[in-house]
Amino acid sequence: METALGAAPKAMRRGAGAEARSLAVIAALLVLLIASVLCSIAVGAVRVPIRTLAAALVLQHTLSEEQRVILFAIRLPRILASAFVGAALSTAGLLFQGLFRNPLADPYVIGSSGGAVLGASAGLFLLPPVSMLGFSATALMAFAGSSLTVVLVYWLARVDGQTPVATLLLAGFAVSTMLSYSSYFVEVLDQDYGLGLRVLASWLQGMIGIPRWTQLGVIGAMIALAFAFSFPLARRLNTLALGDDYARQLGLQVESVRIGVIAAASLLTASAVALGGLISFVGLIVPHFARLIAGPDHVRLLPVTALAGALFLVVADTLARTILAPSEVPVGVLMAFLGGPFFLYLLRRSKQGAGAKRAGA
Amino acid sequence: MSTMLEFSGASFSYSGREVLAEVSFALAPGECAALIGPNGIGKSTLLRIAAGIVLPSAGLVLLEGCDLKQMRRRAIARSIALVAQQVEVPFDFTVEQILGQGRTPYLSFFGGLTGADHDAIESAIEATDIGYLRYRIFNQLSGGERQRVKIALGLAQEPRLLLLDEPTQSLDIGRQLEMIELIRSLSQSGVTILAAMHDLGLIEGTFSSVLLLSPNQPMLTGKPADVLMPRILERAFNCPPQQGPTLLATEHLRSYRAI
Repeated sequence: METALGAAPKAMRRGAGAEARSLAVIAALLVLLIASVLCSIAVGAVRVPIRTLAAALVLQHTLSEEQRVILFAIRLPRILASAFVGAALSTAGLLFQGLFRNPLADPYVIGSSGGAVLGASAGLFLLPPVSMLGFSATALMAFAGSSLTVVLVYWLARVDGQTPVATLLLAGFAVSTMLSYSSYFVEVLDQDYGLGLRVLASWLQGMIGIPRWTQLGVIGAMIALAFAFSFPLARRLNTLALGDDYARQLGLQVESVRIGVIAAASLLTASAVALGGLISFVGLIVPHFARLIAGPDHVRLLPVTALAGALFLVVADTLARTILAPSEVPVGVLMAFLGGPFFLYLLRRSKQGAGAKRAGA
Repeated sequence: MSTMLEFSGASFSYSGREVLAEVSFALAPGECAALIGPNGIGKSTLLRIAAGIVLPSAGLVLLEGCDLKQMRRRAIARSIALVAQQVEVPFDFTVEQILGQGRTPYLSFFGGLTGADHDAIESAIEATDIGYLRYRIFNQLSGGERQRVKIALGLAQEPRLLLLDEPTQSLDIGRQLEMIELIRSLSQSGVTILAAMHDLGLIEGTFSSVLLLSPNQPMLTGKPADVLMPRILERAFNCPPQQGPTLLATEHLRSYRAI
């Protein structure tokens, strides 16, 4: 009895320490994110010195008309868009990894992004411009495309209640390739032949555009909603990590949790695709680093992953638009360069892990 | 007489094949029962049905007189814990984080662990003597350590009925005896136990009753001394007749326990 009494406060102390640590991590990421947004505003074809920016923000100094347009109509919306895309893709990646019980899942890898692009293309090129509950056909179709793809890949990739790396990657690869190129087909069916090609190309290359403020508001709200919805799911993903049988016998409504995760992650993916198209591997790299900082607990991982994802893509998109200035590299292309090797590294590590497990058994 | 768990003509079929046929038995509260039978006879399936993970295709399963089919999953999880043979965790959770999952049936929709939850986890750690493993990563533990953590996870549910699927499987003889010791002490603390057992030699002295599943036969239940008879076991496990009953190894393994 004495040991139990002695041990409990210690456990709580440690719990409190971890709590404080993850709050410190969140605060640090927030500071870095704000700093990166400010730096990103300053750089570009027209340089606006940070001093001028600070003077405008703090001392209410006026900016020139040209500076105002560049900052508030062009750069800031794009930077916010990249922060939203980064947060959404990373959170979606985290949710998919929990759902598939596999750290190699990512919205791009499992075809969820491809499904969103196909849905959005169908909505944009084939359907009349109608809206339902304030959402355009394009947005709704992107969400439907994304979630249907996840359900399909999930169904294809599962073997005896597990999703082995091999079947996950093969099913995801086949489905996402099919979907991305089906988008071209949909575009060809468009009556205004050729006009949609530029839109589609920017989606498929993963180019973050310059959104209107209203568009940013709507998508920001969608991401916030999906994110809030993810919090009660995060604890359940920890339980689901033990496997379906264990989760069931611990009283979890496994099917409801799965549907919730697919809905939240698809909403996040569709939001990200609406702003930036197909950007690969963000949902893979960011949760991986978040785990190194915050451990495997999904509740702690959620805010860390979202903030780290926003920070990561703000920096990546700033690089993408300045690295070859005045030309621009789509950030999706940059991510493929950075993310591909990282993905292979993770794949190799997971193979070694599997080998070690087999040797151990 | 009150019963903790009762199977009444429970059957289970999987893709057209009958895995369990009309199984009936009852466990009294506080009983410590060993479930034995040849490979593939459906011991794990029986435990999964008892835990409410799968429903029987016919017949009834009652927990303290209530039909398991009518109970909410969370309510079942507060009464019954199943310690499965295998658990694969894809992420590097610590033992403490794994044990926290045992409190899932008690948590509110948005809630995290409360003081009472931490107390239950501490008691489970104490009962299984795994305090030293608390901050270790589950995936890096040895087979014996994992087995203890899995039992602690079950105990964190504060169950009245503990189901163990081959708790001594792939453990060395020392860890097997430790496990049997743990089962005995859990049983003494008042938990009803039903354990699928592979090693027949570990049963006597710890388990108060034996349930024997054998092909094309109704389930045989009784005291260990009455069921663990060479004649009965030879037939149930389909042993080659010329090899004789000594190869059933009950005596042989029993002699290990004296070491």
